[in-house]
Amino acid sequence: MKTYAIYLAKRLLQFVLVVFIGINLTYVISHATPIDPVEQTISALTSFGNTSPEAIETMRESLRELYGMSGTPLEQYVSFWSRIVVGDFGPSLSAFPTPVSELILRALPWTIGLLVVATVLAWLLGNLLGGLAGYYRKNRLLKAMGLIAMGLHPMPYYVVAFVLLVVFGFLWPVLPISGGSGIGVGRGFSFDFISSVLLHSLLPALSLVVVGLGGWFLGMRALVSNIVTEDYVVYAELGGVDRRRILTSYVMRNALVPQVTGLAMSLGAIFTGAIITEEVFGYPGIGSLLVDAVHAGDYSLVLGITSVSIVAVSLAVLVIDLLYPLLDPRVQVE
Amino acid sequence: MPVLGTSVLGKPILRKIACAAVALLLGTAAYVPSAAEAQDVISSLPRKETLILENPEGTIKNAGWFNIWAINAGGQYTGLQQLAMDTLWYIDPEKGLEGPIDNSLAAEAPKYNADFTEMTVKLRSGIFWSDGVEFTADDVAYTVETQMKNTGMRWGPILSLNVDSVSAPDPQTVVFKLKRPNSRFHALFTVRFNAIWIMPKHVFEKAPDPMRFDFNKPVSLGAYALHSFDPEGKWFIWQRRDDWQRTTLGRFGEPGPKYAVYVDGGPPDKRVIAQMNHNMDVVHDVAPEGMFTLAKQSKSSRGWFKDFPYAHPDPTLPALLFNLQRADFQSKDVRWALALLIDIKAVSMASYRGAATISAIGIPPTGTHPDDYHIPMQDWLKNFELDTGKQKIKPYDPTVGKQIADMLRPSMKEQIPTDQAAIDKSFGMGWWKPNPQAAQELLQKAGFTKRGSNWYTPEGKPFSIRVMVEGESRPVITRAGTMIAQQWRQFGIDAKTELAQGTMLDRRNSGDFDTLISWSVESYGGHPDLAYFLDSWHSQYVAPAGKPQAPRNYMRWSSPELDGIIEKIRGVGFDDPRSIELGRDYVKLAVREMPTIPLMAYNVFVAMDDTYWTGYPTAEDPYANPVPNWGNSRYMMVRLKPRGE
Repeated sequence: MKTYAIYLAKRLLQFVLVVFIGINLTYVISHATPIDPVEQTISALTSFGNTSPEAIETMRESLRELYGMSGTPLEQYVSFWSRIVVGDFGPSLSAFPTPVSELILRALPWTIGLLVVATVLAWLLGNLLGGLAGYYRKNRLLKAMGLIAMGLHPMPYYVVAFVLLVVFGFLWPVLPISGGSGIGVGRGFSFDFISSVLLHSLLPALSLVVVGLGGWFLGMRALVSNIVTEDYVVYAELGGVDRRRILTSYVMRNALVPQVTGLAMSLGAIFTGAIITEEVFGYPGIGSLLVDAVHAGDYSLVLGITSVSIVAVSLAVLVIDLLYPLLDPRVQVE
Repeated sequence: MPVLGTSVLGKPILRKIACAAVALLLGTAAYVPSAAEAQDVISSLPRKETLILENPEGTIKNAGWFNIWAINAGGQYTGLQQLAMDTLWYIDPEKGLEGPIDNSLAAEAPKYNADFTEMTVKLRSGIFWSDGVEFTADDVAYTVETQMKNTGMRWGPILSLNVDSVSAPDPQTVVFKLKRPNSRFHALFTVRFNAIWIMPKHVFEKAPDPMRFDFNKPVSLGAYALHSFDPEGKWFIWQRRDDWQRTTLGRFGEPGPKYAVYVDGGPPDKRVIAQMNHNMDVVHDVAPEGMFTLAKQSKSSRGWFKDFPYAHPDPTLPALLFNLQRADFQSKDVRWALALLIDIKAVSMASYRGAATISAIGIPPTGTHPDDYHIPMQDWLKNFELDTGKQKIKPYDPTVGKQIADMLRPSMKEQIPTDQAAIDKSFGMGWWKPNPQAAQELLQKAGFTKRGSNWYTPEGKPFSIRVMVEGESRPVITRAGTMIAQQWRQFGIDAKTELAQGTMLDRRNSGDFDTLISWSVESYGGHPDLAYFLDSWHSQYVAPAGKPQAPRNYMRWSSPELDGIIEKIRGVGFDDPRSIELGRDYVKLAVREMPTIPLMAYNVFVAMDDTYWTGYPTAEDPYANPVPNWGNSRYMMVRLKPRGE
């Protein structure tokens, strides 16, 4: 128990350190961007509207003050940490004065809903079919699935997404191609809204599952193919142990450990959103929000999203580290 | 030894999975809705009464904000500025419903005193906000005073700079006393794209801080009021007001669509798909190739022009801008040499696939400008002489527009007009004839030398030019820049395109470029006055190298002669015919000095689908600007009729 407590303390310290370094790096990188949010805003204001050069200078000063960009870099850095420890990311610069946390909280459910379902579905299907394919190596159907997975896996995601878009949006237009729900559909716990959300998530989810499934499939098949040649599996076979039990308890369970790690990492990464998916399908999640923020030089928002992501990925790794000894008895805390 | 995996044990499992997959597929196939059912997601509105337009702003992050007077506090082109806002005057870049200038909330044109330090405006009576409160001069005065007190608001700085005081002596009169003479002060309240919109005093005076007030639900002064919106910012629905007669648009009749929906159209390809499926009636812009696809495959779609080049030429002029604070571009001989190395026909083909409206002069070839500038100046342009140091040449070729049309005719056939006036309108008139020999002489005159196949500056360094372009976010302009760099490179200049991507605006403003393709000219289109952009070209506003340059003189041109012209324009009234003459003086000066190389109008491929609505503004019936994010696009609402009526 004492050993586990030391292990826990070390992992927690690592977690805090990773988060601290990660957020600092993001702060430095986002502030080093050549995109100045004030200049972006001024350009947006003046690119169409009537203005005068003299008024611009006043506007520039007002915006710098409003966006908290006045003061020395050190003052800005101290102010940033004093806010972030209490979970305040400040106002978004490109959606001023809406707080960054409000924008993230609004986008997050969409991303989590889409990506958790798609990731878990791809993981389950990929591992199940991959495990079966590794175990029943001569089955034609599984062989065919292996070929399809190998074909799909290296395909760039955006190609798959665009193919689905064209097929289901244009050639056989049976699915909506944009947005998170239908136009004019009111929010709430109603059949209209829920069915609309599900319908709108089908294409993006399908694209994620199609591409994600291949990786899990191939990984699991390779793992299982190795494990089935292990002596203990052969002895189990010779000993007349039920094959379904061999597959589930002896083979799949052992092969799952690295796959569970992979799943945890994937779930943690959900907090940055599936940028291409959300962009291609116009899905209102955190990935689209991040892209908008980068284009607008809105580093408050960029920092907010990446900080959430850093914490989420680190937390996922931490949880897996803590669960490992429980999942696999071969893994020792020391 | 038994071989693992050959057992039939797995088959029931596989069979179950296969059966489930087949059932899922059959289930999906059984429900095969039409495109309209699947994608026409406006289930809550009658489609025949609903006009769907693209909002090019995309997704609005803070969709619940409608405070257009605060910066970034919500979207602008969500229908808010087009349908819910109003101000004193509008100028249409085309012909307008009853002429390009419309007295909107104002009952008549502005009245200035003799030295342009006071402006009096008479307002219309009988105009009401959507909550039933009557619009009065107090609203106008409140709009000005509130923004003057808050310089962080959108029009705060410019109003503070100009206005000494504003008063409302009676409900239909507003008097502005200005801090200094300004003959164009009313332009701040005149919609070109937008303008200072009037605030509802009775709503905002209750808000503790006007900069942090969301204005949700917005009270409308336009003919439509907010119906509903997507909290994720993808769509905004506006509903025609029952009392539309009590708005300024009511003078022109009942707006056709009961509902107008502004949606995030997504990437260009998706907009094309949406219109082909009849789910987007007005697309703001697509790539030229997208427009060609729509014209070919969708019988119900059309552009501004019925045939090629389809696009609506905005009163904006993309040009090659020199950074005139860099040594290599300070000689007008160098700038002219570079202009004479450009084959505009190739640039037109590369950028717009030929669907461009070219202009040799620094004025967009659109709206009423050709009548005021391009056509009357043809003789001057034809006779304009350039001294290369070794010869005098007449560089203007008035037939370039026709040459482009002739070049396209074999592939586009009857879509290309044959009438000269139609060709001029569609493709532009003339441009500079490529003349490498003259370019060589001009460069030599400026002290440049050619060694081998490469050119060197007077200091002996390789003549290197970076042509900055925006990149994938503006592909047409990027392709123009790439073609120009290629043409210069073929001549022996070390020219390369530089993709600025998201840093474009910062680098443009800070002067971090050799040359760039952008626009420093934006005009009214429907009115000849050029002060809208030209006033900002006065040398008093040119920033020192390294400091940010205020719009729009990004090339940082400083010319005493130009200053003289601008100062004369400031001294004459907006509608004074002398301003046209002064505008022509600017054109002549800009041709001689070539501070920018004008290329073409910013052509917007607005695509309109007449499946549900007819009566869109077009080149044949140019009663309004069709580009749906412009404030003056509101006028199309009163001419749109449901198909079949």
